[in-house]
Amino acid sequence: MSLAARHLEANGIPTVVMGCAKDIVEFVGVPRLLFSDFPLGNPAGRPKDPQSQAFTLDLALRVLESAPGPRTTVQSPLRWNEDPAWKLDFSNIARLSPEEIARRRPEFDRQKEIAKTIRDKPQAAE
Amino acid sequence: MTDREEGFGFAPEHDAPIPYMQRIRDYYQALGYGAPYRWAHYAEVPFAPLNKPLAESRIGLVTTAAPYQPGKGDQGPGAPYNAAPKFYTVYSGDSAVDYDLRIAHIAYDRDHTTAEDSNTWFPLPQLRRAAEAGRIGEVAPRFHGAPTNRSHRVTLDQDCPELLSRVRADRVDAVVLAAV
Repeated sequence: MSLAARHLEANGIPTVVMGCAKDIVEFVGVPRLLFSDFPLGNPAGRPKDPQSQAFTLDLALRVLESAPGPRTTVQSPLRWNEDPAWKLDFSNIARLSPEEIARRRPEFDRQKEIAKTIRDKPQAAE
Repeated sequence: MTDREEGFGFAPEHDAPIPYMQRIRDYYQALGYGAPYRWAHYAEVPFAPLNKPLAESRIGLVTTAAPYQPGKGDQGPGAPYNAAPKFYTVYSGDSAVDYDLRIAHIAYDRDHTTAEDSNTWFPLPQLRRAAEAGRIGEVAPRFHGAPTNRSHRVTLDQDCPELLSRVRADRVDAVVLAAV
């Protein structure tokens, strides 16, 4: 998604990325990022909270119109939870048992194989 | 006694943006994979200022979500990671129509969110409201779906030019990209 933003921007089209993975998007390097410090999957606001969704889109639009230059990141002031403990869980190997790690490898390989099958199948562009 | 206890009001150390790159590298290494994934990385970043007021601008939307595909496994709220609904070419949809887009094919945070409300990753309804309110001029006639492809070559050589060609055809003034 960051690569798409860069490509559009390089061709004269202003962009804003709405995202939750600040380090990855900034590492790639994008013109504008509205960062929501929420679990991955919620770049456009909190679930079942239209007010937060409207606020988040409006903030993204403000970043779009007012960024002074590339690599402008604005962090939404909204919090997922007052307790930040959720941030310790995502893909945190230190929190997984050896049994769980052993279970995940074959499942990951299985999903990769499914993805490969789809990728290698000719698809008509829509 | 810590600084926090002394009343400086410091937040806990882990109350910062999650270091995803480190987490993901450590995770796949622990699972036994070899060379770590290399993210795209650039020192230079392009910039194109918005040349007219938002209230007069046509805004496009790009998503990594996939249309719901019956028969391709669980894609519902809380579904485990499911590669079957993945897509590998850009797709487009009519912005005036409501779509059922899902993110079961993406590694979102399944511990702390359930993907029950598509408005958290696909802000098309909010974008329509912004147009109704006069905040933006109008929503572009189509939105576009961008593949979450692990091949940088395919993304750069195939998907990015295709997206550009489609948003140009839509005559957009600017684009919002919601990245899951």
